[in-house]
Amino acid sequence: MTDPSVDGLLITDPTKFEKQLKELHVAPEKLASMIDHTKLSPDKTASSIENLCDEAKAYGFASVCVNPYWVPLVSRGLQGSTVKVCTVISFPLGSSLPEAKVEEARLAAEAGASELDMVMNIGAMRDGKHDVVENDIRGVVNLARQKGALVKVILEVGYLTDEQVRQSCEIAEAAGADFVKTATGFGPMGATIHHVRIMRETVGERMGVKAAGGIRNFKDVLRMIAAGASRIGTSAGVEIMEGYRWAELSEAWTDIEEIPCKLCPVRAADTGKMPKDVYSYYKGKCHECAYKDTYNRFYWR
Amino acid sequence: MPRVRIQRHLQQVLLEVKDILETFGWHGKILRVNLSSETTVSEEIEAETLNGFVGGRGLGVNILFDELKLAADPLSPENKLVFAVGPVTGSGAPMSGRHAVISKSPLTGGVFDSNSGGSFGAEFKSAGFDALVLDGKASSPVYLWVSDGEAEIRDASAAWGRDTQETTHRLLEETSSKASVACIGPAGENLVKIACIMNDYHRAAGRGGLGAVMGSKNLKAIVVHGDSKTQIAKEDAFREVTRTIASLLKTVPLTKDSLPTFGTSVLVNVINEHGMFPTRNFEEGVFNDAEAISGEKLKERIFLKPYACRSCPVGCGRITSVEGQEIGGPEYETLWALGAQCAVNNLEDVALANHLCNKLGLDTISMGNTIGCAMELSERGLIDEPVRWGDSRRMISLVEETAYRRGLGEDLAEGSRVLAKRHGAAELAMQVKGLELPAYDPRGVQGQALAFATSNRGGCHLRSYMIGPEVLGSPVLVDRFEWQAKPKLVMLFQNLSAAMDTLVMCRFSSFAVAVEHYARLLSAVVGISFDTQRFLQLGERIWTMERLFNAREGFRGGDDVLPARFLEHPLTEGGSRGMKVHLSGMLERYYKARGWDEQGNPKPELLARLGIMA
Repeated sequence: MTDPSVDGLLITDPTKFEKQLKELHVAPEKLASMIDHTKLSPDKTASSIENLCDEAKAYGFASVCVNPYWVPLVSRGLQGSTVKVCTVISFPLGSSLPEAKVEEARLAAEAGASELDMVMNIGAMRDGKHDVVENDIRGVVNLARQKGALVKVILEVGYLTDEQVRQSCEIAEAAGADFVKTATGFGPMGATIHHVRIMRETVGERMGVKAAGGIRNFKDVLRMIAAGASRIGTSAGVEIMEGYRWAELSEAWTDIEEIPCKLCPVRAADTGKMPKDVYSYYKGKCHECAYKDTYNRFYWR
Repeated sequence: MPRVRIQRHLQQVLLEVKDILETFGWHGKILRVNLSSETTVSEEIEAETLNGFVGGRGLGVNILFDELKLAADPLSPENKLVFAVGPVTGSGAPMSGRHAVISKSPLTGGVFDSNSGGSFGAEFKSAGFDALVLDGKASSPVYLWVSDGEAEIRDASAAWGRDTQETTHRLLEETSSKASVACIGPAGENLVKIACIMNDYHRAAGRGGLGAVMGSKNLKAIVVHGDSKTQIAKEDAFREVTRTIASLLKTVPLTKDSLPTFGTSVLVNVINEHGMFPTRNFEEGVFNDAEAISGEKLKERIFLKPYACRSCPVGCGRITSVEGQEIGGPEYETLWALGAQCAVNNLEDVALANHLCNKLGLDTISMGNTIGCAMELSERGLIDEPVRWGDSRRMISLVEETAYRRGLGEDLAEGSRVLAKRHGAAELAMQVKGLELPAYDPRGVQGQALAFATSNRGGCHLRSYMIGPEVLGSPVLVDRFEWQAKPKLVMLFQNLSAAMDTLVMCRFSSFAVAVEHYARLLSAVVGISFDTQRFLQLGERIWTMERLFNAREGFRGGDDVLPARFLEHPLTEGGSRGMKVHLSGMLERYYKARGWDEQGNPKPELLARLGIMA
């Protein structure tokens, strides 16, 4: 059996991880300032986007993150506030031509976006064409520099092995990006403690790490912060902030340890959504995990 | 008899705020009615009482604790029946259209508060009172008409024997079409210990047999109407906090989508998939026919329209139609009690049994649970006549027999604890402290199990709705099988629930609204500052007083227990397979967290901290 502190997906003892959350002491205002208040599903209408802006101003979120079509509306909605306008480029697949990404970024920036979350070329990354990936990112970064915007590179970790996640972070840094970001929320896997840790270990303090995908409550957020995230992308910003009011009322929220398997990326591994090699990579980890007999009620009992 | 009072050192402060207390939020008045002497008196409420107990459940529990004679028979004239509203009632704040009914329960023998929606609470408040305290017994059937600060005891001979719908209709004609009626049906008249008090046709103060208390007083109904407004102390702050609450209710998926679309019945499939949907008297946690009685099926087959209580933007209530009859419900608990609990998979029959319970004035949870118990007794040969699993026609006939105490109904009318004991198998009654358990198998949800065991009113899910965090993820999902850290969380939710019940706010609001907003709302309405901690302490004070009340009536720590089925027999299939309740470990931690001794009695230092002197 492998020692989980070395090779397991949850790098440290998961029974201690939740208790770390007690030590965080994140003020509600600070928590809000880390959240990109997000609506990216295609069915959203103007009134819901306007509402998103109102909420972001009321809670003091970092930005409002929307699809490019809504950038002009959001720019107007946030006028006079400190909340930034964030949009997504080549979303959610990342396979557009580099020129198209640059042009999409230019149009968005000129419409008022000051934060650009671009999806990297995932297929090229899996092919090992690192120079293609880097140039793709650099094109958008150069445009962003001209416009005074910052760039977050979405890796879409559910399509990658851990090594590819590390390499992607290094490439994003080399290309001059400001943040690396876990996922689009439309891919096979959301944000996990495991991936955020790898990303933070790789980029150090030199870049920001944005955790996004499946973050629904304040405990999810605290876990991501504890793992190294400096920005959180979520469509549940209001629920998170309201839920966070409960955190101070009882220590029990963090006394109750989550089943490690529920926090593990293996749980999200899905043969129908992931490349076969990535799926096998994760499932192989599960079989080696020291905690499977202790905790894994759902898979092993 | 020990008496409880807020400590004297608070009195100077209280005198200073007395004017505020009696001007904003509250009327500062109790209507006292003695049915024996046929007297009605309007009495001022002391400022310290309002400040310490606020309203609703708090006010009622305090009245009961101070005034009820030790070991009083719940069905005797000396028992008191209290209807109470809170400072927020009638203010128009979202989800504030509820009222509380408090008495000593004939089913449990302990202090009991039951809570209902509709418009009765708001109308009662508009009539000019914060609480109504009834005692004595009328010499013949009467009803009470309360209108614009006046009260009148009227003859109800013509309504006696009629069902709740006929009664409501008739009394609205006799009084005012704008009025609201709370009444009992034949079950309450016949002192059935699981009888409820129905109001506004479809809503019920369902649990604990308080309908029988009303029946024991020969009181058929209370009809209320008024035009007075709830005065708000800080209008701007009130507008701001109510806008926030309304906005949150429209943001959180549970209150924005799930409850308005499917009502509470959305839970049927959810709880069944977790393997904790009690089936055949809690023998198992999976009902294979759950889909047939689910919220989705209800919407497809019998849904007529949604129903919203006064001031509620959510509208989780369901009005359905079966065989041309308009039915209030079935809600989730009823779909379970008259469905899976009895192995009934016929949705229309569940709805018809629900309708019959409403008309005859029976608590659907206790009724279904008790019929399920009878079915298990019969299947085991402990009851002579056949009452088979899944026999929905027999189930419906048992509802009627119970209300009129006929045949086997005579036993069912006493509730499951007495029924099972009479037939030689006390362990088959799925109850705590005499109150039948609701629709969650405690083996699959450890915190809720502790909440059932320690609830002051017995087997109740709403005194600490742990399903929120343990299943629905509100405010955050916690492992439902974990038990060691649950006691503190159960305590938090118990205190919060008790505090909310003083306002009186709907429990479902807490899916979207954090404690801080309730405190802000109360502060804005009454003009006295309640922060989060003070608001929760209010709940803790009420919880502790209820515990003290029950202790003097003979309840002990040993009553904080669950049926052996949950402690000794693991579930054998579904999402909670292999689970039992870790009750003893949780209880020890719970007593400690509460500041109680090992026998479950509140320690003197706790009473001192809460300003309670016993």
